[in-house]
Amino acid sequence: MATATAPTPRAALPGVLRHPVARKLLLLAAAAAVLVPLADAHWSSGTWPKALTVDLTGPLTRTGDWIIDHRDSHPLFLHFLGHISNAVVFCVRAVYLLLLAAGWAGVTAAATALAWRAAGKRLALGTAAAFLACGALGMWVPTMQTLALMAVAVLASVAVGVVLGLAAGLSARLDRVLRPVLDTMQVLPAFAYLLPVVLVFGIGVPAAVLATVVYAAPPMARLTALGLRGADKEVLEAVDSLGATARQRLLTARIPLARRELLLGLNQTIMMALSMAVIASVIGAGGLGDRVYQALASVDVGAALAAGIPIVLLAVVLDRVTAAAGDTTGRTTGTGRGHRAYTAYAVGAAVAVAVAGRLAGRPDWPGSWTVAVAAPVNDAVGWMTGHLYSGVPVIGGTADWAGRFTTWVLDPLRDGLQGLPWWAVLLLVAAVAWPIGTWRTALTAVLALAATGVLGVWEPSLDTLSQVLAAVAVTLVLGFATGVAAARGDRFERLLRPVLDVFQTMPQFVYLIPVVALFGVGRAPAVAAAVVYALPAVVRITAQGLRQVDPAALESARSLGATPAQQLRQVQLPLARPALLLAVNQGVVLVLAVVVIGGLVGGGALGYDAVFGLAQGDLATGLVAGAAIVCLGLMLDRVTQPTERRTKKGA
Amino acid sequence: MSATTPVFSVQGLWKVFGPKAGRVPADPELSALPPADLRSRTGCTAAVRDVSFDVRRGEVFVVMGLSGSGKSTLVRCLTRLIEPTAGTIAVDGEDVRAMDRTRLRELRRHRAAMVFQHFGLLPHRTVLDNVAYGLEIQGVGRAERRARAAGVVAKVGLEGMEQRRPGQLSGGQRQRVGLARALAVDPEVLLFDEPFSALDPLIRRDMQEEVVRLHREEGRTMVFITHDLSEALKLGDRIALMRDGRVVQLGTPEEIVGSPADDYVREFVRDVPREQVLTVRTAMRPASGDEAGTGPALPPTATVSQAIVAVARAGAPARVVDRGRCLGVVDHERLLGVVAGTEPAENPGENPGEHPAGNLAENSAEEPAKEVV
Repeated sequence: MATATAPTPRAALPGVLRHPVARKLLLLAAAAAVLVPLADAHWSSGTWPKALTVDLTGPLTRTGDWIIDHRDSHPLFLHFLGHISNAVVFCVRAVYLLLLAAGWAGVTAAATALAWRAAGKRLALGTAAAFLACGALGMWVPTMQTLALMAVAVLASVAVGVVLGLAAGLSARLDRVLRPVLDTMQVLPAFAYLLPVVLVFGIGVPAAVLATVVYAAPPMARLTALGLRGADKEVLEAVDSLGATARQRLLTARIPLARRELLLGLNQTIMMALSMAVIASVIGAGGLGDRVYQALASVDVGAALAAGIPIVLLAVVLDRVTAAAGDTTGRTTGTGRGHRAYTAYAVGAAVAVAVAGRLAGRPDWPGSWTVAVAAPVNDAVGWMTGHLYSGVPVIGGTADWAGRFTTWVLDPLRDGLQGLPWWAVLLLVAAVAWPIGTWRTALTAVLALAATGVLGVWEPSLDTLSQVLAAVAVTLVLGFATGVAAARGDRFERLLRPVLDVFQTMPQFVYLIPVVALFGVGRAPAVAAAVVYALPAVVRITAQGLRQVDPAALESARSLGATPAQQLRQVQLPLARPALLLAVNQGVVLVLAVVVIGGLVGGGALGYDAVFGLAQGDLATGLVAGAAIVCLGLMLDRVTQPTERRTKKGA
Repeated sequence: MSATTPVFSVQGLWKVFGPKAGRVPADPELSALPPADLRSRTGCTAAVRDVSFDVRRGEVFVVMGLSGSGKSTLVRCLTRLIEPTAGTIAVDGEDVRAMDRTRLRELRRHRAAMVFQHFGLLPHRTVLDNVAYGLEIQGVGRAERRARAAGVVAKVGLEGMEQRRPGQLSGGQRQRVGLARALAVDPEVLLFDEPFSALDPLIRRDMQEEVVRLHREEGRTMVFITHDLSEALKLGDRIALMRDGRVVQLGTPEEIVGSPADDYVREFVRDVPREQVLTVRTAMRPASGDEAGTGPALPPTATVSQAIVAVARAGAPARVVDRGRCLGVVDHERLLGVVAGTEPAENPGENPGEHPAGNLAENSAEEPAKEVV
């Protein structure tokens, strides 16, 4: 008890200091008063001091060159990495050829049959429609390329994830080691994973698949471990009490009990693999992502949309089908025999359709069945550019908004951050991070930001940071407002839910297409894409947090005659504080991921450096930018780290 | 193993949670400390403290105590689901703590099966497969284990529900599945860990009667953990009452109610309707004069409330007759004394070994009534 152990001096402190936040800040101020004059005397410069920078360009370039020179001769490549690379290429190629051989009719029939067995009739129809739409948009071959790459990556991710998850689920020590690593991997932007694999494997399909695996395996591992650890203790005790061996216990109880988490892990892995497979077009993945990437590079919104729609359709179909498969866990599935018979029918029908397609000599999507959307879309965009970009009376045009946002928000923010002395920025980070989290998270955050300075990318990092801050501010204002509205109005929430569902499943890359159409290129569109991407997660977490507030507490407030505003302010918001903090954390992480990708549409800063490094083969620049992105991600996550870890990534 | 070997024999059992738990039972000074002092001195919690008892073949042995008294830990120590800290446990004379993994697994598979408070069913399996699970663990073939499980499912009254899943059953039905799962492996002892605490009162009574019926039909040894005194009195042949890890009293329901060992037990049993637990053997006085030849006859196991009925009908003291011999008589004063709690019990349960399940008021209600008429 605090009252029993704390001696009287505590009472002598002025009232302000009794608050823990005030005490932390005071301590920080004291530390700063000692350290800042020292630092300032040594390295007095506004920006990051040269003396504290380590130039990695030389060694990194040499490493890159060495790898390129030895890729065909060094035993490490010949006997290990080379085999991996070849195996990946072989597998992707095999799946791709299989998909092409099955023909469009066969693939559609097989996918529909699978969706029917896993998720029911409605989703089966949706699946069929989605695949046919991919063909109709003239994107059949790229869709198959993306699917082939994803299939291989998902299989590998699941294998890796389940092995790691089993290890962490069964051994407490491994769990302690793996958990922070997996947690951190989940908050890093997808972009940061691209450069290291390119360094080792070069640009191409193997690099794309491996980057996807590294990105998509952690959720599988985390959820597997979570499922194994979360099993009902009494069930396991009952299993023990019947004399089960360790193996029986694992196979008949622990794994079946974790089925829900395993399927959720599969769902998340598939979604993240799709997201990454699209982004990996930057490092040679090919397929739909590549079409979008090429189209965006020439600001051809129509072509980008034609490739973007299949991505969205794939995402929605994959998400719904795997999620539905997970939901049917507890359901009785009738008699086993009927079930199996239906499955047999489904397989038979799919094979029959595929064979019929082959016999009809039409494995490829017939050219006459495609709808050219690019031209009309480009016309529409052209019209928009002409009429909506600027000069619309009273409200101004979209380009005007973007320009104003850049001039009035982004520029001052960036210049302000870059104008501050470097130690002031670090101090600011500490002052924000410590009160929210622990001294540990604050220290990690400060060190991570300092690392960007050491890497010599202080200025671009602050530029990226300014975009992130602006986007997060907008996201939170919109997200909290919408979240509160959704939590209070049932009808509004019902309307909102399907929208959020779709938005949350779309890969990050796709968001760039509409913002380029609306705002052109630059930093403002990157911020807009980030806001749109992060918004659904923030809205959802906020609304859920507010709705899950203890009804008894709310009822008692109402019984005392609290107005709705009082209920919200005095009961719901304080009780939902953990959820709100989580929403902030998610918002920040998701925003960073897209702001970085915004480098592709003129966002500049770290994202541009990374893309530039990849495009020009200047790995040193790219890798340094990638490392800085990692540091920035770490910093932003730790600053907003609520005490309890999230269990699920929002998107 | 002879008929007189206890099924479980527990001597000086300790279970201490915390750092370096082993030193607590070994050190006489530490082991004498009250729980709060022990925790502040060593950081350890003693859940079970120096407990000794025997479970006899065929009896229902109830361990009763409030939450936190260590009773659930105690029952888990019996099959080492929780590893005891000190003491000995013997099952049919075999040292449980000395068993290796294989032997221990044998014990759990064939000799002691447990029923859990929250059922511990596997949600992804049907009722039938849940019941057959213990047999599956033992490696019994699919067809045979299903056939055997079907029989047990019928025995606990769940026919027609074999293909349902636990999620589709009510609490009482789920616990019947839990009971059937334990019965399916045909164990020597059934261990119940507060099996009915999570059930509604009416369902609880049904389930208690189910256990009474099973015990009457099969005579299986049972160790029953409960925090509910009326359940303990209803089911138990003998009751061990626990407090803070120690057994404060061990005896028949009649002994516990009739002569509480200390104030704690007295407080505990204060509201028990004594006339339904105490027997005429406790309440009787020696027959004087011609009393031994007249009046209604009652067996010594008849409860006081049954005697009241008999005495009220006859309007005369009733005789307590065992195998034709008159042991004594009960009259108005004696019976009223028991009800009021003013009559000091002189020789409660002098030979508890003879005690069958006769204190179960329901099923013994009819026999004495016949003798009266």
